[in-house]
Amino acid sequence: MAQITHYSQWQDAPAGDNEFAKITDAVVRVVETPRPPPAWYMAFALALSWLGILQLCIGFLFWEGIGIWGNMHPVAWGWPIVNFVFWVGIGHAGTLISAVLFLFRQNWRTAINRSAEAMTIFAVICALLFPGIHIGRPWLPYWMFPLPNQMDLWPQFRSPLAWDVFAVGTYFTVSLLFWYMGMIPDLATIRNRAKSTLRRFIYGALAMGWRGSSRQWHRYERAYLILAALATPLVLSVHSVVSFDFATAQLPGWHTTIFPPYFVAGAIFSGFAMVVTLLIPARQFFGLKGLIEMKHLDMMCRIILATGTIVGYAYAMEFFVAWYSGSHYEGFAFINRAFGPYAWAYWTMVSCNVIFPQMFWFKKIRGNLWAMMLICIVVNVGMWFERFVIIATSLHRDFLPSSWGYFIPTPFDFLVLMGSFGLFFTLFLLFCRFLPIVAIAEIKSVHPAAHGDH
Amino acid sequence: MANANNTTDDVIVLNEEGAKFGRAMLIAGLVLIAVGVGVGLSFDTRGLKGLLHSYLIAFMYVLSLGLGLLWIVIIQHLSKARWSVVVRRVAEVLAAGLPIVCALGLGIIIPMWLHNADLYIWVDHELVQNDHLLHHKAPYLNVSFFTVRCAVYFAFWGGLSTFFLKTSVRQDETGKAELSGLMHGVSAPAMILFAITLTFASIDFLMSLDPTWFSTMFGVYYFAGCIMSGHALWALSLMWLQSHGHITTSVTAEHYQDIGKMMFGFVVFWAYVGFSQFMLIWYADIPEETHWYHWRFEEPWKQVSIALLIGHFVLPFLGLMSRWVKRKKVSLAFWCIWLLIVQYIDMFWLVYPNGEAADRVPPSALVDLTLAAGMVALFLGSAIRRAAGINLIPTKDPALSDSLAFHNI
Repeated sequence: MAQITHYSQWQDAPAGDNEFAKITDAVVRVVETPRPPPAWYMAFALALSWLGILQLCIGFLFWEGIGIWGNMHPVAWGWPIVNFVFWVGIGHAGTLISAVLFLFRQNWRTAINRSAEAMTIFAVICALLFPGIHIGRPWLPYWMFPLPNQMDLWPQFRSPLAWDVFAVGTYFTVSLLFWYMGMIPDLATIRNRAKSTLRRFIYGALAMGWRGSSRQWHRYERAYLILAALATPLVLSVHSVVSFDFATAQLPGWHTTIFPPYFVAGAIFSGFAMVVTLLIPARQFFGLKGLIEMKHLDMMCRIILATGTIVGYAYAMEFFVAWYSGSHYEGFAFINRAFGPYAWAYWTMVSCNVIFPQMFWFKKIRGNLWAMMLICIVVNVGMWFERFVIIATSLHRDFLPSSWGYFIPTPFDFLVLMGSFGLFFTLFLLFCRFLPIVAIAEIKSVHPAAHGDH
Repeated sequence: MANANNTTDDVIVLNEEGAKFGRAMLIAGLVLIAVGVGVGLSFDTRGLKGLLHSYLIAFMYVLSLGLGLLWIVIIQHLSKARWSVVVRRVAEVLAAGLPIVCALGLGIIIPMWLHNADLYIWVDHELVQNDHLLHHKAPYLNVSFFTVRCAVYFAFWGGLSTFFLKTSVRQDETGKAELSGLMHGVSAPAMILFAITLTFASIDFLMSLDPTWFSTMFGVYYFAGCIMSGHALWALSLMWLQSHGHITTSVTAEHYQDIGKMMFGFVVFWAYVGFSQFMLIWYADIPEETHWYHWRFEEPWKQVSIALLIGHFVLPFLGLMSRWVKRKKVSLAFWCIWLLIVQYIDMFWLVYPNGEAADRVPPSALVDLTLAAGMVALFLGSAIRRAAGINLIPTKDPALSDSLAFHNI
């Protein structure tokens, strides 16, 4: 049954009915082709120019100071924190797909897990950018870490912001390991097919001597299971800790006990929406429609619907308890949120996150790529607004009416947010070009051809 | 068909011994509840107030078992789970014990109609008129609206559990695969309504015991305990059936291991929810919220709080982690019983220490445990009666063969 195939001998798409060879070819072809599709160049040029704008903005920020942003009193936590929470949220889908769905034996995840994990890493990189540039003294970000020093200065361990450093840092490390380890067998496949020495050397080094022996596979499977089990609590913990940044405060609108699971559900919601947004064009341009199938996208839409509804539950619970508590300040915060100066943002959030995703109840919508793409972009907009609503509406009218204000972003706020998308897309497009977009080995294990004898 | 061959060796209909046990449980349940109420009304020095507290704990406990099992049935259909098909009927039967549990809820509602404010001070009309906060909450916390809400919850839970059992049994008879599709279709909106009804029921019955306290997480907290103990009762029921000669070959260590995994997951989820709720309230330190925990950190409730932390999380977390624990019946049964006990302690801990110490009633082991045992027996007896004459596995479910052949790898 097992037939030894010499990958290096392949020139064209493999003939015959060897399904496994076709899968390998479909994925590795994206990396091997001398020229990616024109759409890739266009997207990359656009992404790279926004990355350039981001760098210029950061350069100016370091020169001029935080004043170039709209941050003010009482909304001292302006867009940088909104963007931070937004990007960390996006970075939830990958590890959920690779760890949680793996533990739940959801085999359909193999079509999307690699790209979702990559997206996770890049989203967390974008997220980590913001605390780094928001601190106001860009030469001191290492103060966030508990480094021994002669002045005996330590981070404030009682602050949730310090917990964040550890939570996001751990998540980033484990996600990176998970992603890279999962890629090793596929990197070895690219190495085996490489025609130039340089290519063979680079992919060979990345593949860390993988030969595909049964002992190596055995260890790989064990390591995968252990990493999945370790990553699962991390999926919950990262955004729970991010939610503590707000919920531990006494501020009405921030202090509510449902925040941790509510943030986690919202993060999965936005992360899945981003995965769909990226994969629909990716599968189109790189000819991967046979691997990333409509049924996989359909499953993603169902998860978006489920998590969006959980988010809706949390919005409703917050409102109900704000009234039920009888607390004057709680009540004001929520009335102000829905009917105050930021009502436009609040209702944008509610319609994007709760109302629009309800379209996914219909099978027709879950099978229509344009509708899917549109709703997923709407969800991403809505989830950005959710963080903006939580931060700006709770802060802008604090306990002292004389200090009330209205946060207005400056052009630099917009440019930095757009620039972070530039960074994200640059990284993602490079990934699409140089690394295997689909987990070749994993998708084969669930392919019907692997179970032919049953 | 391959699946039919596998199941024909098994006893898949409740035998005479089982049916007899069901009747005995039903009678024992009624007797124990009558004894509990009788003792509570006569010898118990705590009076009616004490009895109502004991009754509420037992009711919320047995309700959590029923709701946990109903959720289990819904989620299997919603996710189109294949591993669980062979064990799903037992969950359906257990969940169908919910109507009788809901009937027990009258024991809480009728005293309210008689203006008894022993459990819920917001029933006291005069107090509400003179208390600003209670007056504010009166549009929600009043006897009529409470009754309406309970009617909605009970009708929904009772109707839904009956629907799933009946539809699934109908599939045994007709063999129609479309019925699986119907149950899948119903499961999605059912899950939303389930979440809403469970949340508000926990607010009504438990959170409003102290009408000044509030937590947006409360519904999720009760939910976590429900699902954990639902899985525990599910596994124990399967073991009981197997030890009496039913479904001995169809249900294997693989199915137990998966139930064990879910149980482990919800042990951790309970801890996550409980910790988040506590930590956020402790950290912000707002007196409107902290008093609820202060009551539970004073002697003697401090001991119970610590016992919950250790018994509901630390020990089962370590104990259920290994693979073999979930695959061996003895070890899994131990943890199932353990978790069913700690779930009771959790309800006990939620109900008793409310209000200032002088206004509280002390627990009474006799009344508490008699009522709890009676209600559990009544619930199980009613479920076993519903199992009479029907298959203990959904024999015509299209995914049955997958479930029989299921292996954890």
